[in-house]
Amino acid sequence: MAPHSPGTDQIDTLLWIGFVAAAIVVVAVNAGLAHALRRHRAGRGAEPRQVRGGRRIQLRVGAALTVFATAILVLSLVFTDRARQTPATGPDGLQASNSEPLRIEATGQQWIWRYDYPNEAFSYYKLVVPIDTTVVLDLVSTDVIHTWDVPELAGKRDAVPGKLNRVVFRADEEGVYRGQAATFSGQAYAAMRTAVEVVAVEEYESFVERQDAEIQAAQDSVVGLIESGEAR
Amino acid sequence: MRRSAPPPEIVVDGLPRRRPRWMELATSADHKDIGRILLVAALGFLFIALVELLLMRLQLAIPENTFLSPVTFDRMLSLYGATTIFLFAIPLALGLFYYLVPLQIGARGTALPRLGQIGLWLYIAAGTVLYAGFLFTPSEAGVNPLAPLSELTFLPDNGVDAWATATGLATLGFVLIAIDLATTLRNMRAPGMAWRRLPVFSWAAAICSWLLLVIGPVMLAAIAMLLIDRNFDGNFFADGSGGAPLLWQHLSWIFYTGAYMLVLITALGAIAEIVPVFARKPLFNRGATIGSLAAIAAIGTLAWMQNMLTAPIGIGWMYFAMIMALALIVPFGLVVFNLIATMVGGALRMRAPLLFAAGAISAISIGLAAEIEHSMVAVAWHLKNTTDATAATHFALVGGGVFGGFAALHYWFPKMTGRTMGESLARISFWTMALGILLAFVPLFLAGAEQGEVVDAYKFFDKTGVTTYNLIASIGAFVLATGIVLTLVNAILSRSGGPGAGHDQWGGDSLEWFALSPPEPHNFDLLPDVRSARPMRDIRAAIAHRTGRAEQPAPESQPIA
Repeated sequence: MAPHSPGTDQIDTLLWIGFVAAAIVVVAVNAGLAHALRRHRAGRGAEPRQVRGGRRIQLRVGAALTVFATAILVLSLVFTDRARQTPATGPDGLQASNSEPLRIEATGQQWIWRYDYPNEAFSYYKLVVPIDTTVVLDLVSTDVIHTWDVPELAGKRDAVPGKLNRVVFRADEEGVYRGQAATFSGQAYAAMRTAVEVVAVEEYESFVERQDAEIQAAQDSVVGLIESGEAR
Repeated sequence: MRRSAPPPEIVVDGLPRRRPRWMELATSADHKDIGRILLVAALGFLFIALVELLLMRLQLAIPENTFLSPVTFDRMLSLYGATTIFLFAIPLALGLFYYLVPLQIGARGTALPRLGQIGLWLYIAAGTVLYAGFLFTPSEAGVNPLAPLSELTFLPDNGVDAWATATGLATLGFVLIAIDLATTLRNMRAPGMAWRRLPVFSWAAAICSWLLLVIGPVMLAAIAMLLIDRNFDGNFFADGSGGAPLLWQHLSWIFYTGAYMLVLITALGAIAEIVPVFARKPLFNRGATIGSLAAIAAIGTLAWMQNMLTAPIGIGWMYFAMIMALALIVPFGLVVFNLIATMVGGALRMRAPLLFAAGAISAISIGLAAEIEHSMVAVAWHLKNTTDATAATHFALVGGGVFGGFAALHYWFPKMTGRTMGESLARISFWTMALGILLAFVPLFLAGAEQGEVVDAYKFFDKTGVTTYNLIASIGAFVLATGIVLTLVNAILSRSGGPGAGHDQWGGDSLEWFALSPPEPHNFDLLPDVRSARPMRDIRAAIAHRTGRAEQPAPESQPIA
């Protein structure tokens, strides 16, 4: 899964660092274990020497482990901090006043995501964002906890009722990115998917205007139907 | 003039049995009876958990399968979570402790036997309540029923109430047993059995008991709040008017993380008994090993927020969780290093207990190595709640609970029954399980890390790149289950038909091998004077010395007076 945002670039790098650390642990333990089990079988006849241990070797192993853990900790802190940096909107992105990022509210509800754009347009399931633009997604929930996760664009975050959580990303390539809600939320949880469509700035602007106009039209037609007495 | 009382009648050949055997067992407060019931029940629930796992894996064998309905899958998932943790892993650990601790410390029983007895029956009641849920509706709230999904608004039927009542009863039982174990270890040690001479497994029992005394009440509080929310208009976890959904996560993750550590401490404690006996060497750096186990209990539980790295908590708390989780590398590393160092230079007898112990170390190492990634904050944002987490948890807990539990079962089975478990069946079972765990969970690592497949979902979609992984994982689950069932069958068959075992079957170092196999109700006719951390070795050396046989006592051991 290729990263398509500055934040996920950092996450991807750290993921590989973590993989190397995990591989070192697995290989060291299992190689040591296999070696010990093969080489020290009974049958030599001699009673094994009753070694109770050694303070020096224990301190050395403890020190080595501490260095290993500290190295992972430092790398994690560095890359996590980088992944948290909010990147500024790039030259191809949506240029807002004061170079503010684009703020969109994502509302998790059983079992669909609703996206509210700045101009009161909204969409369900599919989020449309302009390319190269810093998008701040404010995550809220109207019912239970949902987790917004589009792995190529951002690390996942929980939408908790009554709390505000936030995802920041800046997509570097046009296309559709798929995601799935990642906290168990009841019966249709498996089907609670989402898609982020990254488009050019003009296309985004026309999408938002169109969406707004269509919602307005639908609203007007409902009002018209009720007032003319046809819908009862 | 008053008549004097009749002289007491002296019974020379035992009291006649007054009641049927099952009633004697059910009303017994003897630690061995209680321990045996705990072990048998835990292994029975392991079998039930396997059935649930296989049903879920069948559903997930092919994309968009319709074998189970979403509701049925969610019920299996919720039952599986409660069964594996509350009805299998913790009771198995407590059953081993409860049976063995008095024997290992040279006591004739526990300090507060009635507490252990009610603990056992609360646990049995918990299992009954959870599965009585089938009479109405089992919980659909998931492995850990996160509020507010577990609230009445979202799951109005009684499933979550059954779940909460069952886990509450079980947790209360565990706490009572832990009180008994902690008291027994404090007060009932044989003369000379100083803390520094206590067997590692008894140390693990002490550490786990204190751990349960910390995490058990936290879970009980959370469950009480959930029941109040659902039944008495409470407002602890519901959003609005002051409820806090994250409160449930904090409280429950403290318990679950502590329980995870408990399973691993128990397994490592048992392995630290088995390896020295089968290598005929003392445990390498005993003191540091015991200290590390205690550190795992404390530091590991403090890492509970590792499960909340995507929740709206401050970044400072995320770093706190990461520091605690990564700090665990040191004590876990030291214990594993010392276990392997004990094998080096030993005379290893590759019998079933050692085989399972080695398998446990291997599986735990894979699970904990994967947990390193899950504790690195930014990586956790990617991996959390993917099948990568499922795989990591299962490698660590199947490694600890099942491989480690089976190592302990094979090792102490002769003591408990007077018979040895079949060796060839044990080997077949072990290699099947080893193949099974790799097939079942390695593909899930890949599906989670590469493709972000989410956990707990009743189906996955085609063309998301995880179809092959899931098929292999489902096949692997069946292989793993076959291996586990083979050991359960082996235990049942060997119970009456296994080869007879001696009282000191493996040449053990600790005092349980001084008792008969199976032990008398009072454990010991006479208590030895403990002079070292390996009292049975001293006793064997003393016997050899007196009978003039060739075996030289080891330099540190002294003959008993």
